[in-house]
Amino acid sequence: MTPTYVYGLVAADTEIPEELPGLGPSGTISIITHGKLAAIVSDVPADRPLGTRDDLIAHETVLDSVAANAGVLPMRFPAVIEEQGVVAELLEPHHDHLVEVLAGLESRTQFTLKGRYEQDAVLREVLAEDAEVRGLQETVRALPEDAAYYDRVRLGELVVGALEERRRDDAEHMLERLRPTVVDAVAHQPANPDDVINAAFLVERARQREFEDAVEELGREQAERMRLRLLGPLAPYDFVPAE
Amino acid sequence: MSVATVQGGGGGYVERAPSGGRGGSLADVVELILDKGLVIDVFVRVSLVGIEILTIDARIVVASVDTYLRFAEATNRLDLYAKGGKDLPELVEGITEGGTKGGAKGKTTGMIEAAADKVGDVLDGIGQQPEEKEEAPRRRPRQRSREREE
Repeated sequence: MTPTYVYGLVAADTEIPEELPGLGPSGTISIITHGKLAAIVSDVPADRPLGTRDDLIAHETVLDSVAANAGVLPMRFPAVIEEQGVVAELLEPHHDHLVEVLAGLESRTQFTLKGRYEQDAVLREVLAEDAEVRGLQETVRALPEDAAYYDRVRLGELVVGALEERRRDDAEHMLERLRPTVVDAVAHQPANPDDVINAAFLVERARQREFEDAVEELGREQAERMRLRLLGPLAPYDFVPAE
Repeated sequence: MSVATVQGGGGGYVERAPSGGRGGSLADVVELILDKGLVIDVFVRVSLVGIEILTIDARIVVASVDTYLRFAEATNRLDLYAKGGKDLPELVEGITEGGTKGGAKGKTTGMIEAAADKVGDVLDGIGQQPEEKEEAPRRRPRQRSREREE
């Protein structure tokens, strides 16, 4: 029995870059083809659990490298199957369905946009607009640090609340601006109070430049208030249909 | 049309990374791939092939007292409203135009900027703001401290 790691699936005629770094001891990947489908696979480390930083990065690097030029259907990390099973249990029985799903992703790629507020700039906005925050700020300043503990907590809570409100508007605005250039968009809940946006976009490869220009335009307009980061082109992680 | 594999393309207002893995952070990678992708019943029990999986804890969440204190502190660092409750534009206007509002915008721009710099300096002094002044809005490496190792 040979355990095999499956990164993702592509159309059988897809050209796969040669030197992709697999997460197994061989450090390489290989392709198993069946009908119109091909699975990108590799060996698996036998002496340790999967899930290290390098494993995650290898999984993503392989998929994104392929995604730069071709449609790819990512498997969920970590997908391990017995070698014969790749055809017998994955490609063969699900062939037509997977071909169809891949066809829908063929000409498309994902970008993920993350944005974070410039903290001082946005806190100044909050102070300017919110009298309660201003009042509390003065109370806190007037008291010794330990005496003002609850006021400080309350102040922080108000500020975090104000940031969340602001983020809703800003994220909505950004999504609306980008929507005309994309096929689909998924907004995720940002992890920190000063994150503005964390959203995935499915983009037609032919319109990639248009989308990137629209993002750049947003970045320019908002340069005083936030920093944007655009990851991609990526495999369409957020747009894999639920089985 | 040719499809460019853009790397740091565009005009530079947006930081670019080709993917989370290459050039991004571990936090990016984790967010991107965890719990995403095709699942098919054959994969349900990887233990069948004797592979052990590390548990990966994806995300930190907000809204603790620590978070509030951090933002209270950040807000307190801003000294803009502390003394006399005036905001920067008002101060600048007062300084440069001695009370006359409007008009002469073009001519006084230089002065306004100079004054704004002054005010900025003073505020910085009072507010003991840690260095991080505006640099050009582009590729500053993100805080590594937020990454979660393995």
